[in-house]
Amino acid sequence: PCVDRLLLSDLCDVKMDGLAQDILSDLVEDACLGLCFEVHRAVKQGYFFLDDTDQESMRDFEIVDQPGLDVFGQVYNQWKNKECVCPNCSRSIAASRFAPHLEKCLGMGRNSSRIANRRIVTGNNTNNKSESDQEDNDDVNDNDWSYGAEKKGDVVMLLYFFNLFVVTLNIRLYQMKFTIT
Amino acid sequence: MLSCSLQVAWKTMSKESRMKATINQKLTEMGERERLKELLRAKLTECGWKDQMKAHCKEVIKEKGLEHVTVEDLMVEITPKGRALVPDSVKKELLHRIRAFLAQHAT
Repeated sequence: PCVDRLLLSDLCDVKMDGLAQDILSDLVEDACLGLCFEVHRAVKQGYFFLDDTDQESMRDFEIVDQPGLDVFGQVYNQWKNKECVCPNCSRSIAASRFAPHLEKCLGMGRNSSRIANRRIVTGNNTNNKSESDQEDNDDVNDNDWSYGAEKKGDVVMLLYFFNLFVVTLNIRLYQMKFTIT
Repeated sequence: MLSCSLQVAWKTMSKESRMKATINQKLTEMGERERLKELLRAKLTECGWKDQMKAHCKEVIKEKGLEHVTVEDLMVEITPKGRALVPDSVKKELLHRIRAFLAQHAT
């Protein structure tokens, strides 16, 4: 080690550069050799030319770059303004709101069994204005999809009070309607 | 016996090649060579060198025919191009690291 140190200490800059170049060239050669082994193995195993396809079939899958079309050449947001007719109450609802509505309408959700029950109680008055108003409100405040356990208790309390409010409002509207008629 | 012959070999080497051998040994011993290799491989993949080389390999292999491909042939055909295609920025970065290593360990 002592000798090494002596030898190395009198390296001048030019020699250093030469040495560095040599090392780099070794490394590049290593990389080439690695690539050669890789390619050779791929050839012998028969998967080297697998990703080669003819130009014809490549053209079919080219990325479309035109305004109004997505990468597959289809018109996008064609479903955006579609409306679906609810099989239960036969109202037409925007497709994006259809699933939550159906859940409510058929009485399957957390809150909606109550609504459905109430609807049964109110009988055939499903076309009643106040009823649909109330449901719309419920749709807007649908919290089923909110994230995780964020203040679950608070939300439940809030919903409870909100429902109370809606119920009293409904009763008021009913009364008003009767007084008007 | 072996160490004796090694010593003889060591003495017959020129000063410069002895230095080279020592540095190379150090590079390997400290794991720096592996790190540099890994760095180079990553850089070359990143800059598209590998894809270019593969395309070149494809040409060579198509010329020679699938059955007659050997690693040695590939090496001969590909190494010159491989050296030429390494981008200057990658070379510069590698040289910088090698010089840093030399400066650190050659004192």
